[in-house]
Amino acid sequence: MHLEKIDDYRWLIPKTYKAGMRTDAVIYANERLLQAIRRDQSLEQAANVATLPGIVGRALAMPDIHQGYGFPIGGVAAMDDEQGVVSPGGVGFDINCGVRLLSSSLTAKDVKPKLRDLVHQLFRDVPSGTGQSSRLKLSEADVNTVLEQGPRWAIENDMGSEADLDHTEERGCIAGADPYAVSDRAKKRGTGQLGTLGSGNHFLEVQYVDEVFDTNVAARYNLEKDSIVVLIHTGSRGLGHQVCTDYVAQLDQAMRKYDLHVPDRQLACAPIHSPEGQRYLHAMAAAANFAWTNRQCIAHAARGAFRRIFGESVHLPVIYDVAHNIAKRESHIVDGKQTRVVVHRKGATRAFPNQPVFIPGSMGTASYFLMGQEAAMRETFGSACHGAGRVMSRSAAKKGVTAKEIQKELESRGIIVESLTREGLTEEKPEAYKDIESVVDVVHNVGLAARVARLKPIGVIKG
Amino acid sequence: MALEFELLEHTSDIGILARGSNREEALIAASHGLVSILVDPSVFRASEERYFKAPGPDEDAQIVNWLNEILFFFDTDGLVFVDFTIDSWSSAEITGRAKGERFDIERHEFRTAVKAATYHQFQSHAVAEGWEIRVFVDV
Repeated sequence: MHLEKIDDYRWLIPKTYKAGMRTDAVIYANERLLQAIRRDQSLEQAANVATLPGIVGRALAMPDIHQGYGFPIGGVAAMDDEQGVVSPGGVGFDINCGVRLLSSSLTAKDVKPKLRDLVHQLFRDVPSGTGQSSRLKLSEADVNTVLEQGPRWAIENDMGSEADLDHTEERGCIAGADPYAVSDRAKKRGTGQLGTLGSGNHFLEVQYVDEVFDTNVAARYNLEKDSIVVLIHTGSRGLGHQVCTDYVAQLDQAMRKYDLHVPDRQLACAPIHSPEGQRYLHAMAAAANFAWTNRQCIAHAARGAFRRIFGESVHLPVIYDVAHNIAKRESHIVDGKQTRVVVHRKGATRAFPNQPVFIPGSMGTASYFLMGQEAAMRETFGSACHGAGRVMSRSAAKKGVTAKEIQKELESRGIIVESLTREGLTEEKPEAYKDIESVVDVVHNVGLAARVARLKPIGVIKG
Repeated sequence: MALEFELLEHTSDIGILARGSNREEALIAASHGLVSILVDPSVFRASEERYFKAPGPDEDAQIVNWLNEILFFFDTDGLVFVDFTIDSWSSAEITGRAKGERFDIERHEFRTAVKAATYHQFQSHAVAEGWEIRVFVDV
């Protein structure tokens, strides 16, 4: 595919590239990242997104873009609230997969002598892996309350405080969430998974601040060099996966009714204001609320583990919790006019000015704390990237290396890892991902989000 | 043609290429392929049975829905299926049964979590030796 270079960090797929494209697509990347991006179908997928009815502005791809299902992962698209469509493929199977960062009063010096005990305690207290491994016993009424209200349910059950909600996107609750738009199958799949990490690239990491780039912002969150933080990366578990599965099937059928045509069946969509589109948005909001509650419950378990090792006086306040797989009703300026849109962020983080943005790196490498900037409002509907993005297939990552070797290698660098599965270590090894520094460089230099601090792990819990 | 599958891998995807002498056999091969992503199936017995119902407006949707049944029962009942039977395949749905054993973290090893079967690069068609299905799953 021929890309038109706009500047060192922006590349254009013109709408003349493919029949049906309603707008251009813009890729945010440097030349090196672009080489990796070209190896899969993600650019083609970005062009496909540009064909969706009602898309406004441009279809966008963040520097961590890689091949997804329907939308590329790292894709952003805004649809006109009146004329546009909503697509479950633009959110992904893991609805409200996201990141929560907790700060602490501890430093790396305090934690290192007891690190092994801490990681072991966290591994015991935060269930990971598969199936119905939750320690929370939820009634049907509880599940409906979680879907409707989000983490408020956890707080009313002594798993957090009001301050946690103040530092969560949407206060952990998207209005309009309807538990009855979520199928019984989805509820059954997710009920026994609340408060669990899951597997794959999900993790809980104990990290220290390796470098501060903006001391003023860092100080606002009580962060300085060597401060200990906890990063939680997970989503809505089986409940969200089933909501997506259910609605891809329903919207796939609805497309016939509305005479909609898309280049990839995984882009199944419906008009935002159709009964089918509305029902998906209500179910997606409910699944998003479930995910925020999931991260709330995990944060509560992590706080318990820290207190057990370091005493009751240890506090781990929430810095922020932000989704990176979601569709949100927002107002943005399009062609000089304030416009109501539904912004699809699939593997992309909301990055409103002065809002914390967290970019988790791969296991054993750095993660970043950034701050959303004005340019994101002008260019990307207030969005930035969400991670490093894979460069190696899972089987390639596993080849020639054992879980024990990876664990040992990380330990030699001062990182203690506990994982439920061997695959959790071998498939997720640091080399399997793009270089996080290049991804963050692009976002920072374009001005979508500015570096605040680099965080490095010393303890990792994985499914 | 022997019932068989192979796993296809791209950067972030895992796919299953399944073959059989007809589409039923190819779907059963794809089912075994999906289970092999989750766990090592060789250590599981066919001790518990569940009924599968996979409706859909067309064959592709029915196949995707059938595979998603495997994930549903794995997530909810912890069942790992090792024996599949297709009872009927109409224009409206596939019905059938699967037998397996419950996953036990103390005895079994878990491999990779699968969120869903997808339409991404999906193919289901007759080939010279029988039938072939290609399906990618989100992991």
